[in-house]
Amino acid sequence: MAAKLNLSGPPDSDTSSPNDQSVSSRSSNRSLRVADKERRKNEADDPFVLALKYFSDVEAGTPVYGNDDVERNMVLVEKVAYSKGLSPETISIMLEFAMSLRMGTILCPRVLKCLIPATVVPQEAVVRAFVWLGVGKIPVSTQILFIKWVLTVFDMIDAKDQLRAIYGFIFSFVTEENLCPFICHLLYLLTRKESVRVFRVRKLLELQSKLGRQPFLLNLLSLYKVFCPELVTLSIPSRIKSVFRNHNMPWRSALIAVQKRDGSQAASSISLASTIQDKTNPRKRKHCHLVLPALCSVVNKEAQIEPSSSRKVVPLVQLHSFDQLLENMHRIELPAQMGSLLGSSLALQYLDCVQDESALLRLNFWLGYALHEEFLFCGDGGASQNSEEALQFLNKLLSTQHFLQEGFSSSEAFLYKFLNVWDGSLLRPQILGLLSNIPVIPSSQIRLLLFEPLMQLFFTSSLFFKCGLMECLNNMLLKWLTWHSVYALEDDLDISLNSHTSINMTLSGFKDSVMELVDFVGRLASVGLQLEGCHSLLLSFILDFYETVCDTFLKYGLPLVVIPPTGVFYPALFASDPVSVDRLAYIMYRYKVNLTSAKSQEKEQAFHISRQTFREFNHYATVMVNCLWNSKMFQPGMGIQLGEELLLKSNVPQYWASFDLVHHPAFMSYAVDFHQKCWPGRKDMDLNSIKHSKPWSWYLEYLFSQGYDGLKQFVQSNISRQKAAGDGQGNSLST
Amino acid sequence: MSLLKPFSKLPGLCTANILLVESEEQFQQSLADALVEETAVTVNVRLAKSLPLPMENEESRPRIDLVVFIINLTSELSFQSAEASLKYLDPGYFLGKVCFMVTNARNASVPTERLDAVRKLAASLNCPLLFAEDQTPDGVTNATERLLTILKVAAGLVPMATALYLSNLTRCTVPPDIDQPSFD
Amino acid sequence: MDESTKRLLQRLIRRIPTQMLRTTLDKWGRLTGGQLHSMDFTQSKWALTEKLLAICEENELAVKHITELEMIYIIDNPNQGMWYAFQLMDPEDDAHSVELTQFKEQFKSHLRELIRHVSVKIKKHTDEAVWIRIAWGDTFSRPNHMKPTYVVHSLQTPYVFVTSLTSKQKPLLSQALVLSTRYQAIKDANLSGRKLTAIRDLLMRQYHQVFPTRYPTPLAENNPAVSNQHIEKEQAESAANRLQAACEAFGGGMLPQLQSAVYKLETKFRDHSNKTMTEREEPFRCVVKFASTNLLESLRHCASSGIASTPVTPLLSSIPLKGKNYFVITDNGPGPSSQMRQPQK
Repeated sequence: MAAKLNLSGPPDSDTSSPNDQSVSSRSSNRSLRVADKERRKNEADDPFVLALKYFSDVEAGTPVYGNDDVERNMVLVEKVAYSKGLSPETISIMLEFAMSLRMGTILCPRVLKCLIPATVVPQEAVVRAFVWLGVGKIPVSTQILFIKWVLTVFDMIDAKDQLRAIYGFIFSFVTEENLCPFICHLLYLLTRKESVRVFRVRKLLELQSKLGRQPFLLNLLSLYKVFCPELVTLSIPSRIKSVFRNHNMPWRSALIAVQKRDGSQAASSISLASTIQDKTNPRKRKHCHLVLPALCSVVNKEAQIEPSSSRKVVPLVQLHSFDQLLENMHRIELPAQMGSLLGSSLALQYLDCVQDESALLRLNFWLGYALHEEFLFCGDGGASQNSEEALQFLNKLLSTQHFLQEGFSSSEAFLYKFLNVWDGSLLRPQILGLLSNIPVIPSSQIRLLLFEPLMQLFFTSSLFFKCGLMECLNNMLLKWLTWHSVYALEDDLDISLNSHTSINMTLSGFKDSVMELVDFVGRLASVGLQLEGCHSLLLSFILDFYETVCDTFLKYGLPLVVIPPTGVFYPALFASDPVSVDRLAYIMYRYKVNLTSAKSQEKEQAFHISRQTFREFNHYATVMVNCLWNSKMFQPGMGIQLGEELLLKSNVPQYWASFDLVHHPAFMSYAVDFHQKCWPGRKDMDLNSIKHSKPWSWYLEYLFSQGYDGLKQFVQSNISRQKAAGDGQGNSLST
Repeated sequence: MSLLKPFSKLPGLCTANILLVESEEQFQQSLADALVEETAVTVNVRLAKSLPLPMENEESRPRIDLVVFIINLTSELSFQSAEASLKYLDPGYFLGKVCFMVTNARNASVPTERLDAVRKLAASLNCPLLFAEDQTPDGVTNATERLLTILKVAAGLVPMATALYLSNLTRCTVPPDIDQPSFD
Repeated sequence: MDESTKRLLQRLIRRIPTQMLRTTLDKWGRLTGGQLHSMDFTQSKWALTEKLLAICEENELAVKHITELEMIYIIDNPNQGMWYAFQLMDPEDDAHSVELTQFKEQFKSHLRELIRHVSVKIKKHTDEAVWIRIAWGDTFSRPNHMKPTYVVHSLQTPYVFVTSLTSKQKPLLSQALVLSTRYQAIKDANLSGRKLTAIRDLLMRQYHQVFPTRYPTPLAENNPAVSNQHIEKEQAESAANRLQAACEAFGGGMLPQLQSAVYKLETKFRDHSNKTMTEREEPFRCVVKFASTNLLESLRHCASSGIASTPVTPLLSSIPLKGKNYFVITDNGPGPSSQMRQPQK
């Protein structure tokens, strides 16, 4: 570092000679390389080389106006820059020329705008340019342009160690009000744990009191807080309005063009990033955030060749296997654009393994910003929302979340906002997918954040939305339960909901949330079935949900059993399709197994299942047995009670038997079929004859052979066959 | 001032009538075209720029089962017009036969205060507030479906459900600031 | 070819979009087929310019050839820069018999009398309009071809359209025009816009005008989208009236594209609550500017959709009616109603 600074010399002396040195030492270092030799042969007559020579040798104070040489040479360099990009050496020369202001400030922006790197940007050049920045003759607008350029090419800078070494020097620029946002962004990219110091934190806080709570300051401070929580006591809002913007406008198109033309190189540098960028689509886009940047081209080839070099960091892009990842875990260099991580499975593995929160924090920042800008704050009012790009982006996000098996907190915060303005159809599969990934919400907030908006959507939307939402809520519950069973700590009191965001929740808090969710779905299901006329498709999704609910104790170890409401139980029991009845029987069977098991463990594990739950279950079981088995439909004390006279008036013969396994609308066809098979000769059909002891057991066998396993399990567990012929009421759970 | 009354006329057989009120008269047209495609029931659509409705149509106008106020959030005028029209409705309509439909809610040029004002308005009247994507065909189809869902209930065509019952489930509530879901 | 000619060509080529370059050069006809063929239009502008410079050098082309190319390009793409309309007043008896050659000679000689260093090029376009390119110099300097003035005038009409004219050159041009067209005076028509065709159409009333009628046209004719019998517009009649009124004020069909309308108010401030302002002797000055990509279309939509009340205020309907988009509004004597007075040039 010190040596480098010496190289630049005293700023107001004649600067052409030290520059000369650096260039010649640079090229002599590499003169051994064959390619360079060949170039040297042609050097004499190549006008481009002459142009570079002009810029490295030109005297300080040479006038620009009326100077045809500089114009001609400038045009030459620009031509090469926009067509092929500039080599590292050229960038060094031109950057030095511009920042040293040897020909005044006029050419400076023009040179900066054409600094399109073909491969990498030498770190030394950037460091030297920063030194020039300190001299203080450069106009502020040009200074900003320079820092924007550094931010744009950040991933192409071949190493960051020296830049980090002058962290303090760069930090000193934050006091310049105009530069501050950009400097903060750059610092944000460079910050390491060791760069967080008390005096820097104090400086930033001081600035904040002067400038107000600016997002760029907050972002940097929150990063500091992640590294050194003890130094930053300031409370930082969990969601900051906007993160750092892209400042690549002056170079964007040129960079894309150069990368495109240089297809081979670009391809090699982004090979790690799976199918991220659709190459056919480089046009101007409205959704500038939605295209995930390729995991960027820190094409640091020299670093690969000389692994013993002083550079300590390894960019993610150079790793190609999990083994390499493990070896280099301690010195991974994260790319500047965190969005590119989403596309690479290795990067995600890295994210998952390291306990380093800054990576996740940065990714969250970026994601929150992108989601907010593209879906909640659209420039065009959302006309092109269903575009391929939006779809791909969300799908990528979904697959990332599946890979990590957890949601990002920024996508969660986004969803809570989005649900409030959602029409229920826009990107429905993706939104419901993201929704099912959200972590457990405390029961005090779940109603406001989730239930209110979902309820409005549910009851005003179509049947298919209702089914989709049911599936989504089922998946949400499944994930919550899985988290519980994985992360529950030994003492069974504290569970960590999320491996990264150390949010703790007590077991009773978790139980409350699950209870709220199950109750909510129960309400949705009851009224939904009523409004949709007990549609069997909706019923099927609802039964899916209760298949999860009935097994919470045995499958997920959560001492909580919630019995379905009557609005779900009776529609399922009286459904006209046998599958629903069978699934209900299976669910009741699982409830019984869970409750029996819970009852036996209750004492030793010190939890308590409400007696009310047992009573409710027993009641349902009695109703089912009486209804399907005993032909005692409308007995007093049952769920459904009707006046005797009223039933007689209805003229239904044997009304008490109309929902037994023979007469139940769902099974009637089986009974008829069975009747014909059993007594093929009989002309007049008497279904009641099936109820005699022997044909009854045959009939049951026949039903079970049709695949109604749920029914079979229910019957076997609840009804003892000896008694069955008579008035066997077999439900055996006592409270 | 003539009030529009919910029960001043007899309902038609298997018919539902909806009144779309929108000061810009853009979205209502595409909604109307999609609404009349419904085959299960006969849907009559009445379009208006604002209320009150002209007296001379009084005779020919069927009983209106559902009044929908369409508000384009990017325009203050649109909101004001809807607000001004509300007073020409009989109070009986607010028992489940009015809903608000908002477009452009995700537009960057919408001030958050306006969305809050619409929410407050809908919540104070106990009416549902639907959001719609008026610029895509899918969005229009979906908005139509949702209106039909409410309309069928409001017209009494869904057994076991009444307009008041449904609106009790779907009415708008004013959400508190959900900027930061804190887990403290 | 001297340096200034080269720069003129360079700048011209930079202005012409690459995809139009080939056709424009074709029309110019100063390049041989071989030379045209040798140009690679996929190259960058910079390279193309170099190549073209070499060819021009070879063909020994001079400034007048380059200006020819410029005229071809401008005539084909007139919608650049700001065009201002002028109106010729009080024709002489023989004003209607002025023909092209006579006009050409007269104009050139009159202008040369007024100013020594001037370069004038006149070309007749297919649509009967005469295009004049004037490069101005002054007493001591030669004509500056970098900032030429373009004048478009259709013979036998009282209108002239001018772009990039400085106030110093205005009297010279006015005098030359008046003399050569056999009129007695010329005045500012207070109409300007970026589209030459639009302001010409507006002045010459070449757009679909709708006239007030006692019997409104059948609705179906205006609204071909006969809707479903289940859809009924409650306020169809008032909507139709608004549309009719809007079309009467601004015209039907496609409207000429104006970009702005400016109202300069010089009226007394009236507000009972603010005495100091109301009692001031001097008028209250302010400027109101409406801007849009197609102003008339926007205004018509405002009126037909009810955003602006109908009947349309004369302030707005005067734009097409009087063919102006710059108004000065002053108090006309006592009385509360502020009237519009035609601004005097």
